[in-house]
Amino acid sequence: MAETVVETKVETSLGTPWNVVVHDDPVNLMSYVTMVFQRVFGFSKPKAQQHMLEVHYKGRSIVWTGARERAEFYVQQLHGYLLLATLERAE
Amino acid sequence: MLIRRLKEDAIELMDIEPIEAQLLRQVPGVCDSGGDNRSEARLFSSPADPSEGTFLSDWAEYVRPELRHLFLSARQTVKEDLEKLSNSPGRLGRLVLPRDHSDAWLNALNQARLILATKFNFSDRELSMHESPKWFSRRDLVLQQINFYAEIQERIIDAIEDE
Repeated sequence: MAETVVETKVETSLGTPWNVVVHDDPVNLMSYVTMVFQRVFGFSKPKAQQHMLEVHYKGRSIVWTGARERAEFYVQQLHGYLLLATLERAE
Repeated sequence: MLIRRLKEDAIELMDIEPIEAQLLRQVPGVCDSGGDNRSEARLFSSPADPSEGTFLSDWAEYVRPELRHLFLSARQTVKEDLEKLSNSPGRLGRLVLPRDHSDAWLNALNQARLILATKFNFSDRELSMHESPKWFSRRDLVLQQINFYAEIQERIIDAIEDE
């Protein structure tokens, strides 16, 4: 499973952390999804590819966890790139 | 067609065959969902489950118009770039894109592929097939069009990653 960045400081101050989840989509290219993860989250290429492969093979990947407001911002960014992304309360 | 990055911060599409030029010119038009509900639902997918009522209504009011503007802007950039596509009879075409238009191109090509795939209801399996059919129905031709746009996307990504 791909590693997920967790912003613990923000969690502590604002309560429940939220996940940004990216879902599989047969249309979006692997190279495109990798590029988007690098741009939006600043991931290294190997880490972006790891998350992309998790989306591809498992149907979804939690790409970021942290404060609600930031999670909403990331979901909006991902929708701008036409990725299927949702906000979910972290377990 | 060959796609490469030029030194002067631009991307060049060269040796464009007439059929390729025709498919490129169709991109802005294909991006128009024409109000098709399923295409709209894919372009503007839900950002959360239905229990997030307030968030979803805020999203519809504030974020969705921004996304629509972003997608329209990308289409407009591509449309304007395509007006510069050389079009001499009997010669292969050439198009030079400013480097900072590459995001608009990637976005518009993605819109076009998503809308075609949704309108023609292609399955995951069909979209991952790369062999050509023995004969072409309209649907097969649309699948070729989707794959052609995917190739352009791949090559633009390669070109910008060479930096």
